[in-house]
Amino acid sequence: MLGKLIKYDLKVSSKLFILLHAAYLFVCIISRILYMNKLDFKGPEEPVIISLALFISVLSILMTALMIFTELHIAFRFYRSMFSREGYLSWTLPVSGTQHLWAKIISGYILAAADIILIAVGILILITGRNITSAYSLIADEMTNELGMPLERFALLLFTFCVVSCISTVIMIYFCIVIGQLFPGHRVLCAIAAYFILSTALQVFTLLIMLAFGIFPGHNFFMAKGQTMTEYMTNIFYVSAVLTIIITIVQYVITHYIMNKKINLL
Amino acid sequence: MPWNLDNDRPIYLQLMERIQHDIISGVYKPGDKLPSVRDLAVEAAVNPNTMQKALSELERCGLVYSQRTSGRFITDNTNMLKEMRTELAREHIQNFFEQMRKLGFSDEDTLEMIRNTIKGVYNETDS
Amino acid sequence: MRPILECQRLTKKYGSFFALSDLNLSLDRGQIVGLLGPNGSGKTTLIKLANGLLIPTDGHIMINGLAPGPDTKKIVSYLPDRSFFNEHLRVKDMLSYYADFYRNFSTEQAKKMLDALEIDKHSRLSSLSKGTREKVHLVLVMSRDADLYILDEPIGGVDPAARDYILRTILTNYKENATVLISTHLISDIENVLDRVIFLRDGQIALNTSVDEIRTEYGKSVDTLFREVFKC
Repeated sequence: MLGKLIKYDLKVSSKLFILLHAAYLFVCIISRILYMNKLDFKGPEEPVIISLALFISVLSILMTALMIFTELHIAFRFYRSMFSREGYLSWTLPVSGTQHLWAKIISGYILAAADIILIAVGILILITGRNITSAYSLIADEMTNELGMPLERFALLLFTFCVVSCISTVIMIYFCIVIGQLFPGHRVLCAIAAYFILSTALQVFTLLIMLAFGIFPGHNFFMAKGQTMTEYMTNIFYVSAVLTIIITIVQYVITHYIMNKKINLL
Repeated sequence: MPWNLDNDRPIYLQLMERIQHDIISGVYKPGDKLPSVRDLAVEAAVNPNTMQKALSELERCGLVYSQRTSGRFITDNTNMLKEMRTELAREHIQNFFEQMRKLGFSDEDTLEMIRNTIKGVYNETDS
Repeated sequence: MRPILECQRLTKKYGSFFALSDLNLSLDRGQIVGLLGPNGSGKTTLIKLANGLLIPTDGHIMINGLAPGPDTKKIVSYLPDRSFFNEHLRVKDMLSYYADFYRNFSTEQAKKMLDALEIDKHSRLSSLSKGTREKVHLVLVMSRDADLYILDEPIGGVDPAARDYILRTILTNYKENATVLISTHLISDIENVLDRVIFLRDGQIALNTSVDEIRTEYGKSVDTLFREVFKC
């Protein structure tokens, strides 16, 4: 049953997702050919820096938009198939609330992870040109020194962290929507409110924890202690990873409970 | 085509009457097999349980009989059918005279009018 | 045999409004039951409770002796009072969806019915008229070999000819041990098909009796009696 649920969920939600990500990859390939490959790092610096800054900001807007789309898409699919008219069909299938939840977590995670992987592929397409790699090799030693490891390894770590941690994003989205269901008059509004309250609370909480551990950026800057970028990042990583795991588990438990005990479709 | 049924009398009674009528008037011949309960119910657009009840009642009257495996059949007791037909005719005649009396015709007057009607009909066909 | 549907002191509150209060009901197998009542009397609430779409505020509802859950959903075939499809899908997608999730679904039977209704299996649901979509719903629901069919307003949105077809569909597909629960306010159209009627008023049962009893006792049709009981 779980497999069938995931299959249908992906079938319904994949079309737009594939289209937008294909468009993104297409933009990346075109940019590589028409722009990146033509960059000349040996010439005058200023025009290169200006155009590169502009290009990077446009591209990061594009990537952010893609990520926001994916998250909204995951939220929308969950809401629609479980709590709108379509919920009448979903909830009358011979499937338990837990199975529904796991099907949604897995299909949502597949989309979120695919999003990150494809974005990373796009970046790789952009930066693997010979002119860029050779330009980088000039500063590679300096970077490695600063990061405490080669850039490739650092990027791989960051990437892995993102791919793994997007499961918590997915669960948080579902958690907020399910919380919204507890307020029959304003389900969508309360879900959105839950999202903003929760993310603000999490940020404040994270800052407090960081303060407590003495790794708050402005307060106790890493350079002051002579740490490398990597040591600083590792500390942040440990704190936020532990925090995320705990919060995700709490959110899952609550979502699981509501999905099994508190469903009231309008 | 759903059967025409009144709204104020039990449905199974009306189903009985209708089937009885169909048997007597020869829609179903003696010894014929009746359609299944479900087919009859669908044809009449009524609940199969109600049709079942009507048929069981008809069975009790002896108008139909069931054979365990092959279904329900119309009785081949032609005397009984004849009797029933006569009985039904008698009812109709009695009702008719009743109505005529209400209109103020004596039975003789009514009879006379019947004769004239028949003659009239024959004359019309003659001419 | 266990009743197919049983309610004990079933209560459902929305805020301070009692949609159902202290409702006791027991439905046997093998009958077609009309669930009748004016708007807001609790018909849809009862139906949604039976399908596990709502959680009771108090009391119990049981299908074949079990609280609504995956096991009862296997044996209940439910037609909601609204379209529950993802309308980007095609009719044939819905057939495979039902076949995938319900073991008692007969694709063959559904195809036969769709052909009889001249509905193209390749058309998208969004391109069908409201009435045609309702027919597709009914075909899917009636093509399951279920123990309990729950039909919420199955004939509300369709023309009289389609109404006859739908009633005939219900009668032809009805199995002897199955129970059909039909909620509607178009009583006169379906009363010949019913064994039993349940009148709901203000979330409670006002009457629960057989159609022939109503006719013998009151000398009236269910429709007429309903109009008298619920006179405004």
